[in-house]
Amino acid sequence: MSAKSLISTNPNALIPLFFILLLIPLSPSSNFVNSARTLSSLHKSKVRTDESLTFLWPLPAQYTFGNQTLTVDPNLSLVLGGRKAGNSNFITEAFMRYKSIIFKHPSKESASGFKYDITKLSIIVHSENEELQLGVDESYSLLVAKNDGHSIIGEVTIEANTLYGALRGLETMSQLCVYDYESKSVKVFKAPWFIQDQPRFQYRGLLLDTSRHYQPVEIIKQVIDSMSYAKLNVLHWHIIDEESFPLEVPEYPKLWSGSYTKWERYTVEDALEIVSYAKLRGINVMPEVDVPGHAESWGKGYPDLWPSPSCTEPLDVSKNFTFDVIAGILTGMQEIFPFKLFHLGGDEVNTDCWTSTPHVAQWLEEHNMSTRDAYRYFVIKAQEIALSHDRIPVNWEETFNTFPSKLSPETIVHNWLGPGVCPKAVAQGFKCIYSNQGVWYLDHLDIPWENVYYAEPLEGINNASLQNLVIGGEVCMWGETADASDVLQTIWPRAAAAAERLWSNREATSSGISKLQPTFRLEYFRCLLTRRGIPAAPVKNYYARTAPPGYGSCYEQ
Amino acid sequence: MGWRKKVDKTVLWLLLVHILLISVVGADNRRLNLWPMPESVSHGQGTLYLDSEKFELKTEGSKYGDASGILKDGFSRVLDIIKGEHIIQGTSRFGSSVVIKGIHVVILSSNDELQYGVDESYKLSIPVQGNPLYAHIEAQTVYGALHGLETFSQLCYFNFETRVIELHQAPWTISDKPRFSYRGLLIDTSRHFLPLPVIKKVIDSMTYAKLNVLHWHIVDTQSFPLEIPSYPKLWKGAYSSTERYTMAEAADIVSYAYKRGINVLAEIDVPGHAESWGVGYPLLWPSKNCTQPLDVSSDFTFKVIDGILSDFSKVFKYKFVHLGGDEVDTSCWTLTPHVSDWLKKQGLDASQAYEYFVLKAQEIALSHGYEMINWEETFNNFGSKLNPKTVVHNWLGGGVAQKVVEAGLRCIVSNQDKWYLDHLDATWQGFYSNEPLTNITKPEQQALVLGGEVCMWGEHIDGSDIEQTIWPRAAAAAERLWTPYDKLAKDPREVTARLANFRCLLNKRGVAAAPLAGPGRVAPFEPGSCYRQ
Repeated sequence: MSAKSLISTNPNALIPLFFILLLIPLSPSSNFVNSARTLSSLHKSKVRTDESLTFLWPLPAQYTFGNQTLTVDPNLSLVLGGRKAGNSNFITEAFMRYKSIIFKHPSKESASGFKYDITKLSIIVHSENEELQLGVDESYSLLVAKNDGHSIIGEVTIEANTLYGALRGLETMSQLCVYDYESKSVKVFKAPWFIQDQPRFQYRGLLLDTSRHYQPVEIIKQVIDSMSYAKLNVLHWHIIDEESFPLEVPEYPKLWSGSYTKWERYTVEDALEIVSYAKLRGINVMPEVDVPGHAESWGKGYPDLWPSPSCTEPLDVSKNFTFDVIAGILTGMQEIFPFKLFHLGGDEVNTDCWTSTPHVAQWLEEHNMSTRDAYRYFVIKAQEIALSHDRIPVNWEETFNTFPSKLSPETIVHNWLGPGVCPKAVAQGFKCIYSNQGVWYLDHLDIPWENVYYAEPLEGINNASLQNLVIGGEVCMWGETADASDVLQTIWPRAAAAAERLWSNREATSSGISKLQPTFRLEYFRCLLTRRGIPAAPVKNYYARTAPPGYGSCYEQ
Repeated sequence: MGWRKKVDKTVLWLLLVHILLISVVGADNRRLNLWPMPESVSHGQGTLYLDSEKFELKTEGSKYGDASGILKDGFSRVLDIIKGEHIIQGTSRFGSSVVIKGIHVVILSSNDELQYGVDESYKLSIPVQGNPLYAHIEAQTVYGALHGLETFSQLCYFNFETRVIELHQAPWTISDKPRFSYRGLLIDTSRHFLPLPVIKKVIDSMTYAKLNVLHWHIVDTQSFPLEIPSYPKLWKGAYSSTERYTMAEAADIVSYAYKRGINVLAEIDVPGHAESWGVGYPLLWPSKNCTQPLDVSSDFTFKVIDGILSDFSKVFKYKFVHLGGDEVDTSCWTLTPHVSDWLKKQGLDASQAYEYFVLKAQEIALSHGYEMINWEETFNNFGSKLNPKTVVHNWLGGGVAQKVVEAGLRCIVSNQDKWYLDHLDATWQGFYSNEPLTNITKPEQQALVLGGEVCMWGEHIDGSDIEQTIWPRAAAAAERLWTPYDKLAKDPREVTARLANFRCLLNKRGVAAAPLAGPGRVAPFEPGSCYRQ
């Protein structure tokens, strides 16, 4: 069943997209309400959470809606169709997860004989392939309509090419379902809905740093859950850094002696569990080993990796052992992380230890290398190890800035230092990930959500084929001041602003058209997150992760 | 990737605390890492193992039928906690003489009514001899047994090298009971709405610290989120149509808490903190432009209170209800003509009318079978008139409990300088050191202090920051309220490492407890181990 056939069954109920944009309230006066407001003005501004409005985040590619209100049966059943979905626990589990999200309020017993408008949810998945990789088809169509008894497509239908598209459709469906406190039942307002959706970028990432602070597995799972609500799809796991080495590496079992304590660690099984938990939510996990500059903790178990006990970073470029360990880590991680992209770091390399340590300096001389050459030598050698393990190397931008012509052509350049880097990288044929720290570093608490939202990964790239080389972007949650107690409210809601930028049409999210429009929806989405148990901070905070400034409605803070 | 270190004025102080923490953190197994500290503990030096897949609950000899699954569910929750998110290996490599096969729980009472003063004592023993080996919990009630299970869970460690759950320092003999029967935490859903999953997570975290009363400050000036079937327009005072609780949801919260040994104390704060009531029923206001306190002159006011308490009595089964009574500014009564006329007619001045209101509300509460708790202003203003069943809830400062019990009334301690969680500058050390029985020496007067409560007022608290503002400071008070006086540290620095361990335990269980090193809900100020921050 094609999308077109869906449309033609409901020609009368459809309203074009531009009209929807006009319907969304734009009144600035109800937007910025200060905390000194009186009770009466508070209650006047309730239009904002009017049931007649539906807020989706991120905005779908195309959608139309009508003006009916449909009731949803708390005993909603799943009907599987298509080639693969018929025997997939994957979809059944996802359906159960979303069912508990949609029906988390106790529903009123319905009077006998009451007929719900929506009693079935059909999911049709065409492809049998369950592999989750970069570029997997995440498109879906979603129809929510009252079954008039004539149509073969009933009530709610999600149709997708892959399981992962179906997951995105379920998320959108869950955002359409609203608990109505008056009737004590779940309703879909403004039906019928027809949505056709796919992401703008294939790589929509969030970096999590478990070296500066250990994050318990339970917290990582909360992060993964929350990512799926915003349709992010890559968890960039910055596992290791100078400060600690929490992950077990079977090939070199002393490496995790570099953990903070023996309780702040991940076993191989823990990591596998995280990867499989993420996969069930359509999220890839990209591991990082940041060499040679951010690796001091490696030497705790293997001091030979340090140039010397008193000069401990970068890793010793002169020893084969260093590269044996990297190869061993790759071998171990290959078993854990099926994602083809592998992050090798390569940033902020201070080579002083190489010149000040006699045996390394001597090696440099013997090989006729400057420290800059040795840095390049190290990065390229690590890339070769990754490639030989069937992994595509991702490197921070310094590697590209310093020796672009020597990098493997497969390299994906990860921007961070500032704007304008992806245009240069794609001009030389490299793929690029956008993470400009001025807008997409979540540990920068002084970046307001608007700056996150209006940052454009394709800025300065006008040629369409070059634009295609920007595979997406990533917001980075560096862990110096983020532990289990504050990581989620530092991530949210600002990561959601980037998530919409990466998912939704550029036209629909550019500042010219919708100056105010995302504010309401983002406030609504942050309240949705808190209702799902994710501690997303107030949207209007001047500094990220600060407390609400005073009492008030979630929808206005 | 760079990170700009921000140095602020607290850093030096933080560094000092940090150094203190480092100096006491040995992270070794010999220390007792239990929170709150039990009444009596003895242990050995052996190591036992447990197989979480086969670990079983045995109840032979128990008089408790567990019809509602309180014990069974509690056991499976604790088992999940012990496993954490880890994949656990079996214990087949060890001989059965060092493997604990399960817990044998013997409960002596068949009654599982959870009321004030319910017996929460338990004895936990973990022997090293026996085949098969069982840990033993003996308790009068299922609620004592739940505390025993929590203590057991704190003795279990996941060994990352072997992937086995270990229990160190066996054998164990622990005998435990709370010092106070009322160990409360206030949450405020009027200043900010707290979604259901957030409240449930707060309840879960309370059980880890053995707190046992969730004081639900449901309604206040700013919003009225709860459905009241008798007066269905009251929840029009909610912030929005979705920031609400149905009565069925309130019942769900009560039963969720009940199954975890926690009572829910519901509050309506009359007459002074009730402006939002009038959104649905403007007649409750003295006038449209003078909207607080509730109109003392109108019978309708007391009818509504009666309706609310009638609805409450069907859902909130705790024997106490909180009637507020604090911070009453009576100027609307004297400024509004029909109210001031009424005052004249009754021969009351404004402060007498305040007394009249509070006492009338108390009568209504009594008629619904409740005993009532009132904030201390009621005692300070007309203590001798209060119904003898009144429990006075201290908040303004220290020394109040002493006066209350001298007057023969019962008291709950919450002096704001030490136990208000919204005071971010109130340190965990202050929470720990705050002694409810200060200057109360006579046993019969000590018995009138029911316990204490830490208060999480909601002006700056919503679903995004409640956990880290509550924890770890509430845990410091929890030990004060649980552990026998003689076993409490005289200098809170002695418990720093143990409390740091408990906050990391909370993190592992998914609770966003903040670092110890700093004021309330501070972010960690630099990279480092959880156990040292």
